[in-house]
Amino acid sequence: MQFSIYRYNPETDKKPRMQDYELEIEAGSDMMLLDALIALKEQDPTLAFRRSCREGVCGSDGLNINGKNGLACITPVSALKGKKVIVRPLPGLPVIRDLVVDMAQFYRQYEKIRPYLINNDEPPAREHLQSPEDRAKLDGLYECILCACCSTACPSFWWNPDKFVGPSGLLQAYRFLIDSRDTETSSRLADLDDAYSLFRCRGIMNCVDVCPKGLNPTRAIGHIRSMMLQQGL
Amino acid sequence: MNKNRPVNLNLAAFRFPVTSISSILHRISGVILFLSVPLCLWALQSSLTPGGFAEVKSVLSSGIAKFITWAILSMLAYHIIAGVRHLLMDAGIGETLQGGRFGANAVIALGVLTAVGIGVWIW
Repeated sequence: MQFSIYRYNPETDKKPRMQDYELEIEAGSDMMLLDALIALKEQDPTLAFRRSCREGVCGSDGLNINGKNGLACITPVSALKGKKVIVRPLPGLPVIRDLVVDMAQFYRQYEKIRPYLINNDEPPAREHLQSPEDRAKLDGLYECILCACCSTACPSFWWNPDKFVGPSGLLQAYRFLIDSRDTETSSRLADLDDAYSLFRCRGIMNCVDVCPKGLNPTRAIGHIRSMMLQQGL
Repeated sequence: MNKNRPVNLNLAAFRFPVTSISSILHRISGVILFLSVPLCLWALQSSLTPGGFAEVKSVLSSGIAKFITWAILSMLAYHIIAGVRHLLMDAGIGETLQGGRFGANAVIALGVLTAVGIGVWIW
Protein backbone atom coordinates (compact mmCIF):
# COMPACT_ATOMS: atom_id res chain seq x y z
CA MET A 1 0.00 0.00 0.00
CA GLN A 2 1.29 3.43 -0.91
CA PHE A 3 1.29 6.46 1.34
CA SER A 4 2.08 10.09 0.72
CA ILE A 5 2.85 11.85 3.98
CA TYR A 6 3.32 15.53 4.80
CA ARG A 7 6.83 16.09 6.09
CA TYR A 8 8.29 19.17 7.69
CA ASN A 9 11.34 19.41 9.90
CA PRO A 10 11.90 22.95 11.22
CA GLU A 11 15.63 22.20 11.71
CA THR A 12 16.35 21.40 8.07
CA ASP A 13 13.34 22.25 5.87
CA LYS A 14 12.36 25.65 4.55
CA LYS A 15 9.03 24.36 3.30
CA PRO A 16 6.89 21.30 3.94
CA ARG A 17 7.00 18.51 1.35
CA MET A 18 5.12 15.28 0.61
CA GLN A 19 7.10 12.05 0.99
CA ASP A 20 6.10 8.69 -0.48
CA TYR A 21 6.17 5.49 1.55
CA GLU A 22 5.30 1.92 0.78
CA LEU A 23 4.04 -0.64 3.26
CA GLU A 24 3.43 -4.34 2.65
CA ILE A 25 0.05 -5.30 4.01
CA GLU A 26 -0.76 -8.98 3.80
CA ALA A 27 -3.62 -9.70 1.43
CA GLY A 28 -6.87 -10.20 3.28
CA SER A 29 -5.61 -8.53 6.45
CA ASP A 30 -6.45 -5.06 7.68
CA MET A 31 -5.04 -2.57 10.15
CA MET A 32 -5.79 0.87 11.42
CA LEU A 33 -4.02 3.81 9.80
CA LEU A 34 -2.23 4.44 13.10
CA ASP A 35 -0.72 0.92 12.99
CA ALA A 36 0.41 1.63 9.44
CA LEU A 37 2.01 4.90 10.54
CA ILE A 38 3.79 3.11 13.40
CA ALA A 39 5.09 0.52 10.90
CA LEU A 40 6.26 3.34 8.62
CA LYS A 41 8.02 4.97 11.55
CA GLU A 42 10.06 1.76 11.90
CA GLN A 43 11.19 2.24 8.29
CA ASP A 44 11.87 5.92 8.85
CA PRO A 45 12.30 6.91 12.51
CA THR A 46 12.30 10.62 11.65
CA LEU A 47 8.54 10.56 10.95
CA ALA A 48 6.71 12.37 13.76
CA PHE A 49 3.05 12.08 14.80
CA ARG A 50 1.06 12.06 18.04
CA ARG A 51 -0.72 9.04 19.43
CA SER A 52 -1.60 7.70 22.82
CA CYS A 53 -4.57 5.44 23.58
CA ARG A 54 -4.81 4.02 20.01
CA GLU A 55 -8.56 3.40 20.39
CA GLY A 56 -10.32 6.69 19.68
CA VAL A 57 -10.58 7.94 23.26
CA CYS A 58 -7.66 10.29 23.82
CA GLY A 59 -8.01 12.35 20.63
CA SER A 60 -4.27 12.67 20.00
CA ASP A 61 -4.02 11.39 16.43
CA GLY A 62 -6.41 13.66 14.57
CA LEU A 63 -5.10 13.89 10.99
CA ASN A 64 -6.24 14.98 7.56
CA ILE A 65 -6.62 11.62 5.82
CA ASN A 66 -7.30 11.68 2.07
CA GLY A 67 -8.61 15.22 2.51
CA LYS A 68 -10.92 14.51 5.44
CA ASN A 69 -10.13 14.90 9.13
CA GLY A 70 -10.33 11.83 11.32
CA LEU A 71 -8.57 9.77 13.96
CA ALA A 72 -5.85 7.51 12.52
CA CYS A 73 -6.41 4.90 15.25
CA ILE A 74 -10.02 4.16 14.29
CA THR A 75 -9.65 4.54 10.51
CA PRO A 76 -9.11 1.12 8.87
CA VAL A 77 -6.75 1.32 5.87
CA SER A 78 -9.20 -0.90 3.94
CA ALA A 79 -11.69 1.99 4.08
CA LEU A 80 -9.25 4.38 2.39
CA LYS A 81 -9.73 4.69 -1.34
CA GLY A 82 -7.35 5.87 -4.03
CA LYS A 83 -3.94 4.72 -5.21
CA LYS A 84 -2.10 6.52 -2.45
CA VAL A 85 -3.26 7.33 1.04
CA ILE A 86 -2.53 11.01 1.57
CA VAL A 87 -1.87 11.95 5.17
CA ARG A 88 -1.54 15.60 6.15
CA PRO A 89 -1.63 17.38 9.51
CA LEU A 90 -4.88 18.92 10.75
CA PRO A 91 -5.62 21.99 8.60
CA GLY A 92 -5.31 25.56 9.80
CA LEU A 93 -3.06 25.03 12.81
CA PRO A 94 0.69 25.81 12.76
CA VAL A 95 2.77 22.70 12.06
CA ILE A 96 5.47 21.99 14.63
CA ARG A 97 6.88 19.01 12.76
CA ASP A 98 5.49 16.49 10.22
CA LEU A 99 1.99 15.58 11.41
CA VAL A 100 2.26 17.33 14.78
CA VAL A 101 0.39 20.63 15.03
CA ASP A 102 0.38 23.36 17.66
CA MET A 103 -3.03 23.10 19.33
CA ALA A 104 -2.64 26.30 21.42
CA GLN A 105 -5.24 28.30 19.45
CA PHE A 106 -7.71 25.46 19.76
CA TYR A 107 -7.20 25.13 23.51
CA ARG A 108 -7.41 28.91 23.98
CA GLN A 109 -10.93 28.85 22.52
CA TYR A 110 -11.82 25.93 24.78
CA GLU A 111 -10.57 27.83 27.82
CA LYS A 112 -12.69 30.85 26.83
CA ILE A 113 -15.99 29.03 27.26
CA ARG A 114 -15.14 28.17 30.91
CA PRO A 115 -15.34 24.38 30.48
CA TYR A 116 -16.28 23.56 34.05
CA LEU A 117 -19.42 23.56 36.12
CA ILE A 118 -20.12 26.81 37.96
CA ASN A 119 -22.71 26.81 40.71
CA ASN A 120 -23.02 29.85 42.92
CA ASP A 121 -25.79 28.47 45.12
CA GLU A 122 -25.25 27.31 48.68
CA PRO A 123 -23.33 24.00 48.40
CA PRO A 124 -25.66 21.07 49.10
CA ALA A 125 -24.96 18.73 52.02
CA ARG A 126 -23.85 15.90 49.73
CA GLU A 127 -23.98 16.60 46.00
CA HIS A 128 -25.85 18.42 43.22
CA LEU A 129 -28.60 16.04 42.17
CA GLN A 130 -29.87 15.88 38.61
CA SER A 131 -32.97 14.18 37.25
CA PRO A 132 -32.47 11.46 34.61
CA GLU A 133 -34.21 13.79 32.11
CA ASP A 134 -31.79 16.64 32.80
CA ARG A 135 -28.86 14.24 32.65
CA ALA A 136 -30.06 12.98 29.27
CA LYS A 137 -29.66 16.50 27.88
CA LEU A 138 -25.88 16.11 28.18
CA ASP A 139 -25.81 13.09 25.87
CA GLY A 140 -24.16 13.91 22.56
CA LEU A 141 -22.24 16.75 24.22
CA TYR A 142 -20.04 15.39 26.99
CA GLU A 143 -18.49 12.72 24.71
CA CYS A 144 -16.25 15.26 22.94
CA ILE A 145 -12.58 14.20 23.21
CA LEU A 146 -11.10 17.51 21.99
CA CYS A 147 -9.33 15.92 19.02
CA ALA A 148 -9.86 19.15 17.01
CA CYS A 149 -11.01 17.29 13.89
CA CYS A 150 -14.14 19.48 13.73
CA SER A 151 -12.64 22.90 14.43
CA THR A 152 -9.79 22.35 11.97
CA ALA A 153 -12.31 21.29 9.27
CA CYS A 154 -14.25 24.53 9.74
CA PRO A 155 -13.55 27.35 7.23
CA SER A 156 -14.83 29.93 9.73
CA PHE A 157 -12.24 28.67 12.22
CA TRP A 158 -9.48 28.72 9.55
CA TRP A 159 -10.01 32.41 8.88
CA ASN A 160 -10.67 33.50 12.49
CA PRO A 161 -9.03 30.98 14.86
CA ASP A 162 -8.48 33.75 17.40
CA LYS A 163 -12.02 35.14 17.46
CA PHE A 164 -14.40 32.31 16.49
CA VAL A 165 -14.77 29.77 19.30
CA GLY A 166 -15.19 26.97 16.78
CA PRO A 167 -17.43 23.90 16.70
CA SER A 168 -15.64 21.99 19.45
CA GLY A 169 -15.62 24.91 21.90
CA LEU A 170 -19.26 25.74 21.15
CA LEU A 171 -20.38 22.14 21.63
CA GLN A 172 -18.69 22.28 25.04
CA ALA A 173 -20.22 25.69 25.73
CA TYR A 174 -23.68 24.21 25.16
CA ARG A 175 -22.82 21.23 27.36
CA PHE A 176 -22.52 23.67 30.32
CA LEU A 177 -25.34 25.98 29.20
CA ILE A 178 -27.83 23.12 29.26
CA ASP A 179 -26.55 21.55 32.49
CA SER A 180 -29.29 21.91 35.14
CA ARG A 181 -26.63 22.24 37.87
CA ASP A 182 -24.88 25.24 36.29
CA THR A 183 -26.01 28.68 37.44
CA GLU A 184 -23.95 30.86 35.08
CA THR A 185 -26.19 30.41 32.03
CA SER A 186 -26.79 34.11 31.37
CA SER A 187 -23.16 35.18 31.76
CA ARG A 188 -22.06 32.27 29.55
CA LEU A 189 -24.52 33.46 26.89
CA ALA A 190 -23.32 37.05 27.29
CA ASP A 191 -19.72 35.90 26.71
CA LEU A 192 -20.71 34.50 23.31
CA ASP A 193 -22.83 37.46 22.27
CA ASP A 194 -20.66 39.19 19.65
CA ALA A 195 -20.16 39.03 15.89
CA TYR A 196 -17.47 36.32 16.01
CA SER A 197 -17.52 33.93 18.98
CA LEU A 198 -20.76 32.17 18.02
CA PHE A 199 -22.16 33.88 14.96
CA ARG A 200 -19.24 33.12 12.62
CA CYS A 201 -20.83 29.69 12.24
CA ARG A 202 -22.34 29.62 8.74
CA GLY A 203 -23.86 26.17 8.99
CA ILE A 204 -21.30 24.64 6.63
CA MET A 205 -21.50 21.40 8.66
CA ASN A 206 -17.96 20.19 7.94
CA CYS A 207 -17.75 19.63 11.71
CA VAL A 208 -20.65 17.19 11.74
CA ASP A 209 -19.23 15.48 8.66
CA VAL A 210 -15.87 14.71 10.28
CA CYS A 211 -16.59 14.18 14.01
CA PRO A 212 -15.13 10.75 14.86
CA LYS A 213 -17.53 10.47 17.80
CA GLY A 214 -20.61 11.24 15.68
CA LEU A 215 -21.42 14.44 17.59
CA ASN A 216 -23.28 17.42 16.14
CA PRO A 217 -21.78 20.87 16.86
CA THR A 218 -24.10 22.51 14.29
CA ARG A 219 -27.16 21.52 16.32
CA ALA A 220 -25.52 22.63 19.59
CA ILE A 221 -24.77 26.02 18.01
CA GLY A 222 -28.40 26.28 16.88
CA HIS A 223 -29.55 25.56 20.43
CA ILE A 224 -27.23 28.25 21.83
CA ARG A 225 -28.68 30.77 19.36
CA SER A 226 -32.21 29.81 20.41
CA MET A 227 -31.26 30.25 24.09
CA MET A 228 -29.82 33.66 23.27
CA LEU A 229 -32.98 34.62 21.41
CA GLN A 230 -35.18 33.46 24.26
CA GLN A 231 -33.13 35.44 26.75
CA GLY A 232 -33.38 38.53 24.54
CA LEU A 233 -37.19 38.41 24.34
CA MET B 1 15.98 26.38 12.66
CA ASN B 2 12.97 27.71 10.83
CA LYS B 3 10.80 29.62 13.30
CA ASN B 4 7.97 30.30 10.81
CA ARG B 5 5.65 27.38 11.22
CA PRO B 6 3.83 26.37 8.05
CA VAL B 7 0.07 25.83 8.05
CA ASN B 8 -1.61 23.06 6.11
CA LEU B 9 -4.24 25.07 4.26
CA ASN B 10 -3.98 23.76 0.72
CA LEU B 11 -7.69 23.85 -0.10
CA ALA B 12 -7.18 21.67 -3.18
CA ALA B 13 -5.95 18.87 -0.91
CA PHE B 14 -9.17 18.72 1.11
CA ARG B 15 -12.32 16.84 0.35
CA PHE B 16 -15.40 18.94 0.99
CA PRO B 17 -18.82 17.45 1.81
CA VAL B 18 -21.88 18.53 -0.18
CA THR B 19 -22.99 20.79 2.68
CA SER B 20 -19.88 22.93 2.26
CA ILE B 21 -20.24 22.99 -1.55
CA SER B 22 -23.76 24.32 -1.09
CA SER B 23 -22.47 26.86 1.43
CA ILE B 24 -19.65 28.19 -0.76
CA LEU B 25 -22.05 28.47 -3.73
CA HIS B 26 -24.30 30.56 -1.49
CA ARG B 27 -21.37 32.85 -0.76
CA ILE B 28 -20.22 33.03 -4.40
CA SER B 29 -23.74 33.73 -5.67
CA GLY B 30 -24.06 36.47 -3.06
CA VAL B 31 -20.84 38.16 -4.18
CA ILE B 32 -21.88 37.98 -7.85
CA LEU B 33 -25.30 39.43 -6.99
CA PHE B 34 -23.64 42.26 -5.11
CA LEU B 35 -21.36 42.99 -8.07
CA SER B 36 -24.33 42.94 -10.44
CA VAL B 37 -26.23 45.61 -8.49
CA PRO B 38 -24.69 48.56 -10.47
CA LEU B 39 -25.60 46.87 -13.75
CA CYS B 40 -29.19 46.26 -12.64
CA LEU B 41 -29.52 49.81 -11.29
CA TRP B 42 -28.15 51.21 -14.55
CA ALA B 43 -30.67 49.18 -16.55
CA LEU B 44 -33.49 50.33 -14.28
CA GLN B 45 -32.41 53.99 -14.45
CA SER B 46 -32.06 53.94 -18.24
CA SER B 47 -35.38 52.20 -18.77
CA LEU B 48 -37.42 54.86 -16.94
CA THR B 49 -37.99 56.97 -20.06
CA PRO B 50 -40.04 55.55 -22.98
CA GLY B 51 -37.10 55.86 -25.41
CA GLY B 52 -34.68 54.47 -22.85
CA PHE B 53 -36.93 51.47 -22.23
CA ALA B 54 -36.80 50.50 -25.89
CA GLU B 55 -33.04 50.99 -25.89
CA VAL B 56 -32.48 48.79 -22.82
CA LYS B 57 -34.82 46.22 -24.35
CA SER B 58 -32.76 46.06 -27.51
CA VAL B 59 -29.47 45.88 -25.54
CA LEU B 60 -30.88 43.02 -23.45
CA SER B 61 -31.91 41.01 -26.50
CA SER B 62 -28.34 40.36 -27.61
CA GLY B 63 -26.91 36.91 -26.91
CA ILE B 64 -24.29 38.00 -24.37
CA ALA B 65 -26.80 40.20 -22.51
CA LYS B 66 -29.22 37.30 -22.34
CA PHE B 67 -26.48 35.12 -20.90
CA ILE B 68 -25.62 37.75 -18.27
CA THR B 69 -29.30 38.16 -17.37
CA TRP B 70 -29.64 34.40 -17.10
CA ALA B 71 -26.55 34.18 -14.87
CA ILE B 72 -27.76 36.95 -12.54
CA LEU B 73 -31.27 35.48 -12.25
CA SER B 74 -29.90 31.97 -11.67
CA MET B 75 -27.59 33.27 -8.93
CA LEU B 76 -30.52 35.11 -7.38
CA ALA B 77 -32.65 31.97 -7.44
CA TYR B 78 -29.89 29.83 -5.90
CA HIS B 79 -29.19 32.48 -3.27
CA ILE B 80 -32.86 32.61 -2.27
CA ILE B 81 -33.23 28.83 -2.11
CA ALA B 82 -30.06 28.43 -0.03
CA GLY B 83 -31.25 31.29 2.19
CA VAL B 84 -34.53 29.50 2.84
CA ARG B 85 -32.52 26.43 3.89
CA HIS B 86 -30.62 28.62 6.35
CA LEU B 87 -33.93 29.84 7.80
CA LEU B 88 -35.13 26.25 8.15
CA MET B 89 -31.89 25.29 9.86
CA ASP B 90 -32.27 28.23 12.23
CA ALA B 91 -35.65 26.74 13.10
CA GLY B 92 -33.88 23.46 13.89
CA ILE B 93 -34.85 21.64 10.68
CA GLY B 94 -32.19 19.65 8.84
CA GLU B 95 -29.42 20.00 11.39
CA THR B 96 -28.50 16.30 11.50
CA LEU B 97 -25.80 14.92 9.22
CA GLN B 98 -28.39 13.19 7.01
CA GLY B 99 -30.70 16.21 7.13
CA GLY B 100 -27.86 18.55 6.24
CA ARG B 101 -26.78 16.41 3.30
CA PHE B 102 -30.34 16.10 2.08
CA GLY B 103 -30.90 19.84 2.41
CA ALA B 104 -27.68 20.71 0.58
CA ASN B 105 -28.43 18.26 -2.23
CA ALA B 106 -31.98 19.58 -2.49
CA VAL B 107 -30.77 23.19 -2.66
CA ILE B 108 -28.28 22.39 -5.43
CA ALA B 109 -30.85 20.33 -7.37
CA LEU B 110 -33.50 23.06 -7.07
CA GLY B 111 -30.91 25.66 -8.04
CA VAL B 112 -30.01 23.75 -11.23
CA LEU B 113 -33.71 23.21 -12.06
CA THR B 114 -34.57 26.89 -11.66
CA ALA B 115 -31.49 27.86 -13.70
CA VAL B 116 -32.73 25.61 -16.52
CA GLY B 117 -36.25 27.02 -16.15
CA ILE B 118 -34.94 30.59 -16.29
CA GLY B 119 -32.93 29.69 -19.40
CA VAL B 120 -36.04 28.32 -21.10
CA TRP B 121 -37.94 31.48 -20.17
CA ILE B 122 -35.20 33.81 -21.49
CA TRP B 123 -34.44 32.06 -24.79
